[in-house]
Amino acid sequence: MASGAAVLNPRRYLMDDRRFVGVIFLAPALLYILLLVGLPFLLAIAFGFSDVTVGNTELNFVGFDNFVAVWENDIFRQVFSNTVMFTLISQVFILIFANILAIIFTQEFTGKWFARFIFILPWATPVSLAAIGWLWMFDTKYSPIDYLLLQTGFLGPKGILSNSRNLFWLANPALSQISVIFVQVWRMTPLATVILMAGLSSIPTDILDQAEVDGSRFMRTLLQIKLPLILPIMVIALLFSMITMFGDMTVVYVLTRGGPVDYTRIIGLYSFQIGIEGGNLAQGAAMALFAFPLLLALALLMLRTASRAEVR
Amino acid sequence: MSLVELQGIKKFFDNVRAVDGIELEIEDGEFLVILGPSGCGKTTLMRMIAGLEKPTAGQIFIGGEDVTALPPRKRGVSMVFQSYALYPHMNVFNNIAFPLKAQSREKKYDKRAIRDKVENTARLLEIDMLLDRRPRQLSGGQRQRVAIARAMVTQPAVLLLDEPLSNLDAKLRANARDELKEFQRSSNITAVFVTHDQIEAMGLGDRIVVMSQGKIQQIGTPQFIYDDPANEFVATFLGSPSMNILRSEVFSFGFRPENFLPKTLADNPENSRIFHYYIKRVEYLGSDRLLYGYVHGHDNELTLAKVPSNVRVALDVDCDYEFAVHNSDIKFFDRQSGQRIEQQNLQGVV
Repeated sequence: MASGAAVLNPRRYLMDDRRFVGVIFLAPALLYILLLVGLPFLLAIAFGFSDVTVGNTELNFVGFDNFVAVWENDIFRQVFSNTVMFTLISQVFILIFANILAIIFTQEFTGKWFARFIFILPWATPVSLAAIGWLWMFDTKYSPIDYLLLQTGFLGPKGILSNSRNLFWLANPALSQISVIFVQVWRMTPLATVILMAGLSSIPTDILDQAEVDGSRFMRTLLQIKLPLILPIMVIALLFSMITMFGDMTVVYVLTRGGPVDYTRIIGLYSFQIGIEGGNLAQGAAMALFAFPLLLALALLMLRTASRAEVR
Repeated sequence: MSLVELQGIKKFFDNVRAVDGIELEIEDGEFLVILGPSGCGKTTLMRMIAGLEKPTAGQIFIGGEDVTALPPRKRGVSMVFQSYALYPHMNVFNNIAFPLKAQSREKKYDKRAIRDKVENTARLLEIDMLLDRRPRQLSGGQRQRVAIARAMVTQPAVLLLDEPLSNLDAKLRANARDELKEFQRSSNITAVFVTHDQIEAMGLGDRIVVMSQGKIQQIGTPQFIYDDPANEFVATFLGSPSMNILRSEVFSFGFRPENFLPKTLADNPENSRIFHYYIKRVEYLGSDRLLYGYVHGHDNELTLAKVPSNVRVALDVDCDYEFAVHNSDIKFFDRQSGQRIEQQNLQGVV
């Protein structure tokens, strides 16, 4: 331009309209939540209070009948307690392992990059593939674990654990439960570790230097400085893995289908088996909804703890 | 023997010579200030005294003992960081008690002793009413006191302070400086204070160590360093506005703006050097007038003069005046090395 001064284009473009742009930007997330979370959730509630089945899709309101029936079902009670037990026990191990690993991975050592990469793999592997891998590891006849135990004298005719050649991981009630919990811990620990590592590296170096000058050794710094400072982040990590585990059915579906008997059946799986495989949509939905108030309370409690805890 | 002795201390990070051969003795009970621009290695030097960094070469002695290989907790030092580094999840009491608890195994403090020590130190720093508060409920000045209390509670041999005043606002800072000095004097503790602020350095230090590029440029009392800078760097780093440096064929010479006054004001003009000074611009700063201009024969070297406002001499822009500097206020430096040259060695040249 000859004068050198920029002349503002007086025309208003559609993209200058904040309200229009706002709607455009929000739309994908909004659609996702409404169609893939909101709608199924409302549908589940509608199903739960009706007598709908795969054969008869008419929705007749039946009140709390489904919920009462589900609660009076002995199998469901076992399933419910399995779900809670598996979740709680695995969380304890996940927290312990994730803390230890996070502390190791925030230290300096050679090969750290490679070690981190290896430890993140279980989380990067698709659940179904990982579960199939473990299905082979726990195989009734050809389990590599059994093979190792056999070679080291723990199994076999004069074995310490059993005089059989196999432990029957997925057929023995206690071992099947241990196996399921083990796979869940194996699968969920990396994510929790990554979250805790982020927390640990967010602690200002001044604070850690100060602790060192103050005379604090490794354990004191860990227990009195580092862990309290990452507590809110730990709560978030716990919340994530608990909710993921509570809703998961892939691992048990692949490993045991809920067996032996009902020892490894959990809510997600049972509701799928009753509602989809068995065709009783109403009862399946009611079962799935049983977990909802529990998860909601859990989420609220943890978010409150996290926001109340003081980080700086 | 000095309380702290540094012998040939070097610290290299890869190819960067952060600290490059430091010899320094710190006397018992003195307030030593390490002054230098950012990146001069002063904080690294302090971290090596604390034991947070290991020197690449050299030895550190504290109280006559070689502590070079010892961790911080075995050195009898404590430190106040620029950020104060208070433990955010602990109240003030537990913050101050932390070093006592951490060292309770070696020193055998019981609960009672810890409580007494914390309360005494808190009272000394007038924060005893804040013991139940969390750090985030404290003002900047209170945080700084808590940090100092935590550093003092173990009665360390050396108190290391890394720019502890720079997070305070300007008004608080002057006050905090005064209190810190008073506190150091009354407790008779040896303090090493790192700063890039020359006013803090001049105001606080019994001695100042001026550092640049990992090396000590000069050590001395504030007045000595100001009046007798060892080289051009020290001359221009201290003083605001900084010393005027003018170049001639073989040497440079410098004089401070406050010593560059109209000839009519000079005490004894016969012992002064007279310059023709062209004033380009005048800044009125309240107590002073700051003049920007050029000395005749040095037309590319901006020269400043600082004239007290209560001196009623007309000084107008775009005019030439005769200005004088007392001979003893002119410092000569080698043009190549920047090192100071004594005036008598220049008699033939000037």
